[in-house]
Amino acid sequence: MKRLVFALLMTASVFAAPASAQEGHPLKGSWLGTWTGNKIHGNDVLLVLSWDGKNITGTINPGTDNIAVKNATLNPEGWLVHIEADAKDKSGQPLTYTIDGKIENLPLANRVITGTWKDSHGDTGAFKIGRQ
Amino acid sequence: MNLLRVLRSVFVVALIFASAPLVLGHHEPLAKFDDKKPLRIRGVVSLVDWRNPHAHVFVNVKTGEQVSNWAVELESPIDLEANGWSKTTIQAGDQIAVTGIAARDGSRQILGKTVVMASGKPIFTVNVMPPPMPLSPQPTPKWPDGQPKLGSVSGGVQGYWAFPSATALVENGVSAPMDEWGLLKNIGDASKVAPMQPWALQLYKERQQRFLRDDPMYLNCKPPGGPRQFELGHGVQFVEDRVRQRIFVLIGSGNNNYRIVYTDGRSHQGQVGGDDENPLFYGRAVGKWQGDTLTIDTRGFNEDFWFTNGGLPHTDQLKLIEKISRPNLDTLKYDLTVDDPGAYTRPWSATWTLRWVAGKEMPRHLCQENRS
Repeated sequence: MKRLVFALLMTASVFAAPASAQEGHPLKGSWLGTWTGNKIHGNDVLLVLSWDGKNITGTINPGTDNIAVKNATLNPEGWLVHIEADAKDKSGQPLTYTIDGKIENLPLANRVITGTWKDSHGDTGAFKIGRQ
Repeated sequence: MNLLRVLRSVFVVALIFASAPLVLGHHEPLAKFDDKKPLRIRGVVSLVDWRNPHAHVFVNVKTGEQVSNWAVELESPIDLEANGWSKTTIQAGDQIAVTGIAARDGSRQILGKTVVMASGKPIFTVNVMPPPMPLSPQPTPKWPDGQPKLGSVSGGVQGYWAFPSATALVENGVSAPMDEWGLLKNIGDASKVAPMQPWALQLYKERQQRFLRDDPMYLNCKPPGGPRQFELGHGVQFVEDRVRQRIFVLIGSGNNNYRIVYTDGRSHQGQVGGDDENPLFYGRAVGKWQGDTLTIDTRGFNEDFWFTNGGLPHTDQLKLIEKISRPNLDTLKYDLTVDDPGAYTRPWSATWTLRWVAGKEMPRHLCQENRS
């Protein structure tokens, strides 16, 4: 089901009109992409982030996995992104994700975050999401 | 006199005019052109493209045996026509010389500062001067109940507000020289412009370092929400609908849009076209007269535009308090307080004035096809 929802989202994004740049806080908004090699939560990832003036909050895969972002920071020097989120693995055991990346194409509508993800079980891979 | 001598004299004239102040344009010219690359071309006009947002003249330039076509970018037809020029001022086949600055990307484009006919006659120069102030200030026009009029004066004389004394936001009391599009003369002044949070300061610096080329008002015809509508070259006009208790702010630049300020006591909630879940380019504005000052409280902005020339960031937490007064016939005073805890460390203020342009209709510049 999750894959079907994701496939529909991807299809919709292909046919949608080109997004205009979001001119506020660079992380705010919906991001869609992949965390390659993630055997527990799949290859595809959806991330919704918000900014209240002090803190970055958000959810990974809202509606399906609902993984709350525990801690997220943005270092404007280089636009470095760091995200931590607590999830559960398939057996229900705690699992912590750590994502480190960098915002690229910041002024443009098609800005992306590229970097790596890793989890507390030792799995790791490439991470790439684009602003929708 | 051979052609070479004619053109030589033409360039002398051109150089004289090259020192004239650059006129208002509709976007930061340095986003596209490099002021460190002065350029002169001469040749034969092949086409005049007389349209918004900029007129273009195409010129065949001969170098040795090779002929290449150059595009000369000029002001908008509105500004050119206001200075007496028309699309027939020069025509295909005319010999012209152009001085200006070259395109950053190396393409065959030049921003024309001066265009001179082979005869030496200068053309397509624009000088935009504010109307002269009267020797003694004339009184503020008022409605019968004594409330100041923000729009046209009695007798139906038209007019609009333009020539803002500041064309980009800078906190009151701060000196940060910038050009009319808000591009800082010294990027080191960036942190002084307003009390920005670190992310906002870095974003502002990067927009500046890219010569404001990402401005969505020019790239995508996004509206000039917030105070930006009072910073632009083609001015604003107030239409006070006292029966329906609202004020329309008509905007001469950008995408020629309008903003509604409700003065009927309604709240920010439930306004036409917007609610908390639907942030807007112009936000939701409620106004109240306090003595001779109209105080406008606006909130509910989206984040899809730049709220000022120069590219200061904002978030959807932005709240604006605008205090507008007309101390005399010819002056509009605009006091602004920016309160955006998403992008700034504290509320801050800026103040400027606009001049009344009497007896004229507001120019109708249109952002078309995502070009402004």
